[in-house]
Amino acid sequence: MPTLIIDNQTVTVPEGTNVLEAAKRLGIEIPHFCYHEALGSVGACRLCAVEFREGPVKGIQMSCMTPAKDGMVVDTGSAEVLAYRAQVIEWLMTNHPHDCPVCDEGGECQLQDMTVAGGHGIRRYTGPKRTYQNQNLGPFIVHEMNRCIQCYRCVRTYQDYCGGTDFGVLGSRQRLYFGRFSDGPLESPFAGNLVDVCPTGVLTDKTYRFKSRVWDLQEAPSICPHCSLGCAVTPGARYRQLQRRRARLNNQTNGHFICDRGRFGYGYANHPDRPRYPLVGHRRVTWQEALAAMQSKLQELGELFGSGSIGLLTSSRATLETQFLTKRWAAALGSDQLCFEAHPRRDFASRVAASQQLDRSASLEDVRNCDLAVLIGADPLSEAPMLALALRQAARRGARIVIVDPRPVVLPVAFERHAVSVDKFSQLLRGLGRPQQGDFSSSMEELGGSLANALLAAQRPLLIGGTDLLGPQGTQALQHAAKACSQPEKPCRTMFMLTGPNSFGGALLSANGPGFDSLMEGMEQGRIKALLCFEADPLADYPDRKRSRAALARLDMLAVFDCAATATVQESDFFFPTTTVEESVGTLINNEGRMQTFEQVFSAGTPLAESASGSHPPRFFTRDIPGSEPQSAWGILSALMGRSADLDALRREIEKNDHRFAGLSQLKANGEGRRIAIPSQHPESLPLNIASSIGSDQLQLLVTETLYGSELLSSLSPCLQELIPAPFVTVHPQDATRFKLEEGKKVLLGTPMGDLTLTLRIEGDMVPGVAIVPRLRGTVLEPLVPGTESLPCRIEKV
Amino acid sequence: MRTCEPLLFKNRRIGETVFLEGYRKTGGYQGLEKALRDMTPAAVREEVKASGLRGRGGAGFSTGLKWSFFPSDDPGEKYLVCNGDEMEPGTFKDRQLLLADPHHLLEGVLIACYALGIGTAYIFLRDAYRQCAVNLEHAMHEAREAGLLGDNILGSGFSCEVHVHRSAGRYICGEETALLNSLEGLRPTPRSKPPFPAVKGLFGKPTALNNIETLANVPHIITGGAAWYKSLALTEKGSGTKLYGLAGHLETPCCVELPLGMPLGELVRDFGGGVWQQRSFKACLPGGASTPYLTAEHLDVALDYETLEQVGTRLGTGGVVVFDDRTCMVAATLNLLRFFARESCGWCTPCRDGLPLVCWLLERIESGQGTREDMTMLQEQLRYINGRSFCALALGAMGPVDGLLRHFAEEVEDHIRLGRCPLQT
Repeated sequence: MPTLIIDNQTVTVPEGTNVLEAAKRLGIEIPHFCYHEALGSVGACRLCAVEFREGPVKGIQMSCMTPAKDGMVVDTGSAEVLAYRAQVIEWLMTNHPHDCPVCDEGGECQLQDMTVAGGHGIRRYTGPKRTYQNQNLGPFIVHEMNRCIQCYRCVRTYQDYCGGTDFGVLGSRQRLYFGRFSDGPLESPFAGNLVDVCPTGVLTDKTYRFKSRVWDLQEAPSICPHCSLGCAVTPGARYRQLQRRRARLNNQTNGHFICDRGRFGYGYANHPDRPRYPLVGHRRVTWQEALAAMQSKLQELGELFGSGSIGLLTSSRATLETQFLTKRWAAALGSDQLCFEAHPRRDFASRVAASQQLDRSASLEDVRNCDLAVLIGADPLSEAPMLALALRQAARRGARIVIVDPRPVVLPVAFERHAVSVDKFSQLLRGLGRPQQGDFSSSMEELGGSLANALLAAQRPLLIGGTDLLGPQGTQALQHAAKACSQPEKPCRTMFMLTGPNSFGGALLSANGPGFDSLMEGMEQGRIKALLCFEADPLADYPDRKRSRAALARLDMLAVFDCAATATVQESDFFFPTTTVEESVGTLINNEGRMQTFEQVFSAGTPLAESASGSHPPRFFTRDIPGSEPQSAWGILSALMGRSADLDALRREIEKNDHRFAGLSQLKANGEGRRIAIPSQHPESLPLNIASSIGSDQLQLLVTETLYGSELLSSLSPCLQELIPAPFVTVHPQDATRFKLEEGKKVLLGTPMGDLTLTLRIEGDMVPGVAIVPRLRGTVLEPLVPGTESLPCRIEKV
Repeated sequence: MRTCEPLLFKNRRIGETVFLEGYRKTGGYQGLEKALRDMTPAAVREEVKASGLRGRGGAGFSTGLKWSFFPSDDPGEKYLVCNGDEMEPGTFKDRQLLLADPHHLLEGVLIACYALGIGTAYIFLRDAYRQCAVNLEHAMHEAREAGLLGDNILGSGFSCEVHVHRSAGRYICGEETALLNSLEGLRPTPRSKPPFPAVKGLFGKPTALNNIETLANVPHIITGGAAWYKSLALTEKGSGTKLYGLAGHLETPCCVELPLGMPLGELVRDFGGGVWQQRSFKACLPGGASTPYLTAEHLDVALDYETLEQVGTRLGTGGVVVFDDRTCMVAATLNLLRFFARESCGWCTPCRDGLPLVCWLLERIESGQGTREDMTMLQEQLRYINGRSFCALALGAMGPVDGLLRHFAEEVEDHIRLGRCPLQT
């Protein structure tokens, strides 16, 4: 722990800390470009020079490249240092176009800041500047190479951190080119991070191009709602339009980066089809009318059929506050027909995941630091993209990554693959739960055993499970295995990928409550007459759409509270528009049990658009903001129960009511969140596995999440549309031969949900005997939902 | 005319290449035999250290000292990399050696590998040196047939493999850590030091890096002994002989092996045939393009490491480039700086953006558009580029600018005052 003096202040830092970081601890910001906390020091820009007066090195040196040592006396602002830094800026500015007035980076440009800080004001160089041709890098990133100051952050992010291979540095000397060999969309699903790391306007957000100056944006700390990881983001809005999302630092979860689904999935909030008005029977009414009509209908049904006739459903998209108040309202209504997830198998898998010992639960930071990760039934890039990036960081530090999965899983890093079909998982997990034993009854059990031994031998072992493929039983077995592979000082941590951003909260609150199957039966049998859906879409999420459609059709009343035009919204008798994450405040609990709050970025309203007629003055005036009706679901629930919408009081109540949520009222949105300490009780009974028998002329149908097009909200984002693939089915080459199928040709897939015509893909890195289809909303694949038991299907040439 | 018995050039006949037979006739491979038969690796290292041999690639670092930092006795993979990327303008000595006598280098490489406990060596050769590569490959084939290369060399139990790798043809590839990146198939940008190559070099393993001429001296140190080798130099602190290159405005440009410490004037007069066309000596680069100029005042200075440092320049590679009295030193410096600006790898700001700015300033001054402000800026560039860049390329590049401002400030001022180049009529 060296102790040194920087600008007359003493600081002690861990061995290996460089002087730039040591100064940062004192709150002294040494100007820099190429240094980045996540990317490290490379000494390229030469801006972070400081003067060493005493100690092992003397004179002007680069602070990022100099490890802090005892006895150093550092001056970060001597006259010589300042003059030198001004010179570095002058060098960098010789070719910079100085086009700040038309540059999107303006206002958050490190080059602007450093130019001002560096004291370089007048350009002495009057010669010609080098210019470049820019490339079309796809839908997310604008390329303006003339602005480049060659800090190499982009290649270090894209290639080193994110594992991309199609973007790099070309050329040499003053003719460096940061780009691709030829125009084309960036292939990495983490390409958007280039926007955050570029210190000037070379790589900017195409979806945000020319929309706002950054100082005009409304911004607040928020959480990404597009998977269960709960990455920290900073959305920016202006003119009632959500205009962009950036990564926000949370060292425990996403670190400095986010995935492109998270960054560019924001468009759902501005979607033109977003329902913004309360509707009764598809007729626009006022809030008062709608609430009164629904209340009276509820009262009528309650009186006629009893309180058990009212079912309530919320989802993993709903905040903890909404879930809690839904539970409260169910109690107030006297109904026990309350469920937190419309997909029963996912529901119970989440409940099992939430019942584990939470000190063993792994954060993304634990993933980045692990030395062995075994993934069972998990496809990180599709289900939780930032997990893939965390695994890459672990592998870069030498960790071994093992994936056991039936699918042709890809990761942005090399890994060890075992193609294993889902029906073998139970054998594998049995072996995994029995380390240091030899009498295995199958090769799969033996593979499990050998992985278990490796986990026992590892220093920071990690088991990662995808709950869609594992199901509740598999999730439970994985937890047992983790326990068996743990030693007191070396716990084998676990991470489960769950359905949505607040699956964990729903699991904690549901305890031993019913699953949606039992609500379905109630509706089918006519016991349940009314269903109230809070940010839940049972039509799309219940695996058997025919059944859910029929059941919902039997209801006397379907009330939906949501922010997106879901399938269920179309069927609703009463509709209440709710706010998005960015338009409200709330709490989400991520897949590891980390409780995180988010703040309101902006108020809901139809985005301002320039009037088309061109007439002046505008003829139409109103005091009301168009489209501003959406209210937070928890606010609506408060109103329904006659309570005031007091967030602080509500959070205190949640805390008081359930000690597992302790600390909620103190949580700050810009912090690292707080891990739930006490697990929920293990669900008493789990739905049974019903394996369908697969005929010899049939394949197993496996529906899986995919990066773009599966998750509801991001699939509504216009800029992600072009990345959503055309519906396809993937089979093993053996099966392609068996059924005489050709890559790229149309095939007919006969499923229990109907016959579908799809394009064929052939992948060698998967198990034979399986037909894999992605979940793609709004396509012919819409009725197929992941996370179910495997079903039989047929495949043939069209 | 002072000469010496040549060591490296002993078999050199212009237009001919000596291979194994000829090389052995004049005592070739006796050094290797002696080292393998009679000496421990440590003894070889000790002898080289005692000889005072300094690196001939430009930096002049003590070879013995460099080898003493090398983990010679550690087990595990280690490499020797011979830096033959001779791209310093005015330098062609290694090429002459390989054209004349390729086994010389091979013997040096093998002794060095033995001394340092290395089993694999790479000879990184300038791309343009095609014939040298052909010669080396042939020499290696001969050596292998003769049991001098490969497994169990001369029955000693010592095994060594040598690979010739031709460079991609960039000046930066001669920077030792950029060379390692280049050899690994990466962009040739320098690596940060520490870790030094001796700790973590090629493919992350300990790596010794030496110039061709340096290694070619090693067999002579082993056969003749350190004391004899040291005594060959004319200066007290010098050691051995040096391949001097003579180029520029001379009657007879050549490459010649002479004792270290030859006075500049003698070299120019006796071996360069004097300045061409009866003109007078104005200046020279003493050791390649990255060394500050010497002027007519310095004709008595001995061409050795220490003596040249005393007059503010460096021996560098020993490639002397002479300028006659009709040369505009601003134009000459601009020409050199254009080379360095072009050859910058683009990694760090002072080199990538500073050198083109220097070129721009020199262009303005040379074309008569220069102002006093430009002169100030030029002085600032010297001050801020030197010692602040990532590797030594920019430092070397500023050598001529340093020389220009120290010795020819008046000439620069004249450009500004007259608004034209005073040497152009």
